[in-house]
Amino acid sequence: MADLASRITKPAEEPAASNTVPEDSIEGANSVGLVESSYDVEVKLADLQNDTDSPLYSVTSFDQLGLPSQINDGLLAMNFKKPSKIQEKALPLMISNPPTNMIAQSQSGTGKTAAFVLTVLSRVDFTKPEQPQALLLAPSRELARQIQGVIQTVGQFCDNLKVEAAIPGAVSREFGVKASIVVGTPGTVMDLVRRRQFDVSQLKVLVIDEADNMLDQQGLGEQCVRVKGMLPKTIQILLFSATFPDKVYNFAKKFAPNANEIKLRHQELTVKGISQMYMDCPDEGKKYDILCKLYGLMTIGSSVIFVRTRESANEIQRRMEEDGHKVSALHGAFEGANRDALLDDFRSGRSKVLITTNVLARGIDVSSVSMVINYDIPMKGAGDREPDSETYLHRIGRTGRFGRVGVSISFVYDKKSFDALSYIANFYGIDLIQLSPDDWDETEKKVQDVIKSSRARPEYAPNALGN
Amino acid sequence: MTYSSPSRWVNPNHHDDLARIFDEPRNSEARHAHVLKVSETAHTRLREDAEKILQEALLREETERILAEKRREQDRLLAEQKLAEEHQRLNELRKKKIEIPPLLPEPKPGVAPVVNGNFKPAPSQTTPTTANIGQPSVNPFGKPPFQAVAAAPAAQATAIPNKQPTEPAKPPVLGINALLNGNLTTNGAVPAIATPKPVPTPPTSAPQTDRYSQIHKNLKILRKSMMEQAKVNRALKERMGDMRREIRKSVGQLTGGAPGVNKTQQQKIVTLLREALSNRVDSQPMDPSNFVLKPRNPMEGTLHNQATLPSLFLYLLNVFSKAVISQFINEASARPETADPVGVCVAAAFSEPDFLWRGESLIDILLAKFRIVCPVLFGYRGSEKTEQGRQRLGWWKDGGHWIPDQQHMDRMTGLGAGFAAISLRNFTKSKKENPYPARNYWAAMVKIVRTPPSEISNTQCVVLKAMIQNYEAKFIDAFGNAAVAALRAALIQFPAKAPEKSAAVNSLHVLAQVLKRDTGLNLG
Repeated sequence: MADLASRITKPAEEPAASNTVPEDSIEGANSVGLVESSYDVEVKLADLQNDTDSPLYSVTSFDQLGLPSQINDGLLAMNFKKPSKIQEKALPLMISNPPTNMIAQSQSGTGKTAAFVLTVLSRVDFTKPEQPQALLLAPSRELARQIQGVIQTVGQFCDNLKVEAAIPGAVSREFGVKASIVVGTPGTVMDLVRRRQFDVSQLKVLVIDEADNMLDQQGLGEQCVRVKGMLPKTIQILLFSATFPDKVYNFAKKFAPNANEIKLRHQELTVKGISQMYMDCPDEGKKYDILCKLYGLMTIGSSVIFVRTRESANEIQRRMEEDGHKVSALHGAFEGANRDALLDDFRSGRSKVLITTNVLARGIDVSSVSMVINYDIPMKGAGDREPDSETYLHRIGRTGRFGRVGVSISFVYDKKSFDALSYIANFYGIDLIQLSPDDWDETEKKVQDVIKSSRARPEYAPNALGN
Repeated sequence: MTYSSPSRWVNPNHHDDLARIFDEPRNSEARHAHVLKVSETAHTRLREDAEKILQEALLREETERILAEKRREQDRLLAEQKLAEEHQRLNELRKKKIEIPPLLPEPKPGVAPVVNGNFKPAPSQTTPTTANIGQPSVNPFGKPPFQAVAAAPAAQATAIPNKQPTEPAKPPVLGINALLNGNLTTNGAVPAIATPKPVPTPPTSAPQTDRYSQIHKNLKILRKSMMEQAKVNRALKERMGDMRREIRKSVGQLTGGAPGVNKTQQQKIVTLLREALSNRVDSQPMDPSNFVLKPRNPMEGTLHNQATLPSLFLYLLNVFSKAVISQFINEASARPETADPVGVCVAAAFSEPDFLWRGESLIDILLAKFRIVCPVLFGYRGSEKTEQGRQRLGWWKDGGHWIPDQQHMDRMTGLGAGFAAISLRNFTKSKKENPYPARNYWAAMVKIVRTPPSEISNTQCVVLKAMIQNYEAKFIDAFGNAAVAALRAALIQFPAKAPEKSAAVNSLHVLAQVLKRDTGLNLG
């Protein structure tokens, strides 16, 4: 009997003992969560730092910024009710006098564009509508047009607001630039200045968006430096980006001397509101079908699919259209006005799926994008050997705009793609959640749970909302 | 082994025959006959035993079945009791809410009913007729569809003696005329248009609201029941998930643009719903009364008059409604204009003649969800500074915390635009009947605009703005000059009387400016 009893109790003890092991590991997981730093933006002050009287105030409403009422009304019409953290921190520094340079980094979708647009609008003298007073540079025509659009919307109640895009094919050869605000790509701007079709003598502000990209790339960087050389020496320079690799940062500090700086550590760069997942595909051929299935798993507004080649972009477009989606495919094969039209379709909502190669990874803001798919993992270097972490970040940043819920799903189907994604996940310290295409009922449930739990995180995108 | 020594077990004195038999040689006929008889008896006994055991087994099974049923009944009772308790709690909650107004400086007869805005006993009288019709249908709800409605007011009536305020409360809706008349002095044509439209709403407006909460609860039970059914019904399980995902996808594919761009998606949704209605996968029938605002009696000449519809069909309408609401919250929140094609699709699907039940649409399923996520459309008010107030405003909670300001206001924007997209559809050129006519839009706007100044919330302003922006033309189409007057009340007078000029309040003024600039509509 005693023997039997011991045989009965023993197995019961064993699981009890083994239970402690997973508990430990759960604690481990929790502690990882605790280590994650909170989102506070570090503010480093250049000159104001020693001035104890300096109004280092933090504004909690746009009213408190003392913006002209027309600009305020524009913000209200856009349903902007409160400044985001980057706006709250950076705006007072940027619009104060005397003008000071600024290098600002903040996660994607946190209101950087609105921050510099507000600065530009508050510096322009609208009684001289045709005299260029502010210049904004962006790396692509799409981004330049987008910024132009934001200025026009925020400034919709400003009389005599004139904004021109200095991009290929947009400026009149006869009259040149006749606007108080000019948004363009560096090459076109340089040409216009050289041809004396763009009077830069009274420019007060220079903004460079996606600054790391602009200053880093050989061609663009050089052009930026040249453009700067043509401008008045007193100009206020504002550099903005979501990413600032160290070597670019040092260069940026030379480009914009004595700047106030707002900077983030790279672990803080990913937006918490974006649920990041990956789909384990059995082989490359299955990716198309799996892609179409994703759209039933959750409520999706617009979506962006990033692919490596034009061919697969076209093939995906064909398949998705068969499945009832309205699709725009945008890649290097299209140019100028065609690209504008395709992107306008997507912006206006006539098409809700955008398939693109890397062209649009940066900056493009369509607020209703709720899913980003990395159909191919972003790679860089010769022969696409290296995982491209920065591009990954910019890609997924197309969703979760301004504190909204977003989802990103990366497709993995072999060792190379798996390793590349693991590398990126490690780099940013993110937990990617695995999805499988075997049981869609299960996968649907999992996706729903992931979206719920990412929203429930206490520190969920507070930086974007300023609270 | 054999009968080698018979004397040991048979008494020769009493069984002469046997003795004789046993004396005879072993293979004699008599001996055989005897052995046969013995074995036959044994066999019969065995058989009887077996039969008895079988009977017992059957009996035991029967008992178990009855026991199981009893248990199920008990569970059901428990569930009912829980529901009853919930109701009790709800009622108590309401009681508390009702006690608040008197504390406030001004007496507001209009407020209590809105807060309280619940059932009146009248609809319950008609209950038995509808409830009794449901015979073989599953009723996981524990009670006949309208009994809950009947019970709650009864409990409340005793708790709050002055239940009457609910009745005078109806006039708030009628009161729009008073409100309008203030502006209408210059506008002689208005009353003619204004009066006929809003009038139909008053009697229903108050009871509507809480019946919707009940429907919402019933929908949750429906969903659970479907999951249970799927466990035992393989065909249903295989189809249900795919159908759900197809519907969600199709709703997500809707886009703005030229008329007809969404034909494929709309057809797909209708086809899926029709498949569910045909019930090939054999889902259980269910009483749709659980999901409608008012009891319905069979109507002559209509397609579906029976007491039940396939539960899969009702479930898919629920899935469709959920997809719609979710699209408003997730997409129209960022871009309100995306709500419109979804609204068109809603109107088209719910008005589909074969999806009507007893001659009316089942759109109450969608409205029940609206009532939960955007209560201000149904006349609920609350302060954003208090827990209770936020709850009543439909401020969402995630992981136990209120969602951030901006996110809440985004949701309200999407839902306001979505509500307009559904309630301002023009059916004048359609043969079908509008499942949610424009008078409901009017009623919702009135309920917000009539809020006493001290109770105006940002949430209301945001919803009001969203339901007007991009819909001013449709609103004016539906109500003519009365709509212009209502817009003036909403965009000029309402923000003017708000004590705190927050961004949300100011954005109503800004919308008036935008309308003036873009459409030339001068509201003054």
